[in-house]
Amino acid sequence: MLKYEFDWSVVTSGQYYDWLVSGVYLTIQLSAVSIVLAFVLGLLIAVMRMSSVKPVKWLALGYLEFFRNTPLLVQIFFWYFGSYKILPESVNEWLNSTNFEFAAAVIALTIYTSAFIAEDIRSGVMSIPKEQMEASRSAGFSYLRSMQYIILPQAVRITIPPLIGQFLNLTKNSSLAMTIGVAELTYQARQVEAYTFKGFEAFTAATLVYVALSFIITALVTLYSRKVLHRAG
Amino acid sequence: MKNVVGLLICMLAMLLVAGTVFAADTYDTVKNRGSMICGVKDSTPPFGYVDPKTRQIVGYDIDFCAAIAKKLGVKLEVKPVTSASRMPQLIEGNIDMIAATMTKNAERAKQIDFSHTYFLTGQKFLVKKGTVKSLQDLDGKKIGTAKGSTSEQNAKKALPKSTILSFDDYPQAFLALQQGKVAAVTTDETILAGLHAKAPNKAQFEIPNIQISDEPYGLGMRKGDKKFVDFVNQTLLEMEKSGEAKKIYDKWFGPKSDLPMPRVFRIVADK
Repeated sequence: MLKYEFDWSVVTSGQYYDWLVSGVYLTIQLSAVSIVLAFVLGLLIAVMRMSSVKPVKWLALGYLEFFRNTPLLVQIFFWYFGSYKILPESVNEWLNSTNFEFAAAVIALTIYTSAFIAEDIRSGVMSIPKEQMEASRSAGFSYLRSMQYIILPQAVRITIPPLIGQFLNLTKNSSLAMTIGVAELTYQARQVEAYTFKGFEAFTAATLVYVALSFIITALVTLYSRKVLHRAG
Repeated sequence: MKNVVGLLICMLAMLLVAGTVFAADTYDTVKNRGSMICGVKDSTPPFGYVDPKTRQIVGYDIDFCAAIAKKLGVKLEVKPVTSASRMPQLIEGNIDMIAATMTKNAERAKQIDFSHTYFLTGQKFLVKKGTVKSLQDLDGKKIGTAKGSTSEQNAKKALPKSTILSFDDYPQAFLALQQGKVAAVTTDETILAGLHAKAPNKAQFEIPNIQISDEPYGLGMRKGDKKFVDFVNQTLLEMEKSGEAKKIYDKWFGPKSDLPMPRVFRIVADK
């Protein structure tokens, strides 16, 4: 009497299919925006971390230690619920009138992942012989310009494999956004399970989508590094 | 990460399901084991919540479980469940019965069997005082509720222009209301009244008289578990007849309780 009957139709057509598709779109949006922002912020923090100006370096260090060492779920709740207490009433009202759930999730994912990306990029920079920096400085480049034109292009290239790892982590971590009501893929899969009790089908579909997204991200980044970065180098 | 975990849980669930097929008869299983495991809410006063003094889960649902366990002559064990987890837990055999503010509906009845209605309420809204006069005031606004509940479905139908935000449980949805992140929390009136009664800034909120659905609660049991379902139904009818059901109602919703509400139903056999 307790036999499980498969019914794949719930995830291939109809209302529940529409839910899953809307979840896929939201997961892609959430991941794409956060990946771009996290990469830019990660670069910035990495450069700050390696700066010889002490306060800048300490600021970056504090940022890294704080955001790498707290759970992402806690950070999501902090930005969504906790920010209310420290922001003025007018700002809260404005935030609540917008899609703040999505924004809070992007902020949390961006900041959390940027800390890891910064450390990956720093280790890439460390692997570039320091004579290159000395040479470019003596050729008249400033510290920031040397970074921009000489060091970072090489470092980022070396960092591609760990970066891909961080991008994949971010995409999968985006499922935590469901805790604050962002209706992304995992949220929708759970909804389908709650409404139809077809959890196996719903989560199988979600799993396949995550695997496909991971492949696409890996392929895009690899392609980009081959076509653009390596040609330049 | 989560998706993989979900899949693994599903696979594990299927193994468990396969393993429990032969132990189909809950009535005998419970008798042999000497205890009945009831899946209940632990943060939904007054149906199921942790009593701050005794640290025990108490409430209307728990009292019904206790009465049925007593009739069976076995000990009662309670296990906290959420709206989303209660049906899987039951089907996997982790619990023997669901008594967790669960509305009876056709979709669910395909997966599990329900007892006669042991509580009747309706879905309403908890809002900031004076902000909502009619249902139209809410359409297009953000509405909070909990995942895996019928409230969400009903709200989507009644307020097609609104965004429904589903949180993990009702206290979180209420926090979002307090912070102005949603315009209303929607679910069964009794759950809302329970949240409202426990709120520190009670006077700022109200439950306007706008009802969007009837919510008959049933005890959930495994599909086709006839002997157990019949026993539970029989017990419920006897409890109504002896006045015990009314006594439990009055304990939680009577004039002297925290949430006085008239009893608008009697436990009768479903057609």
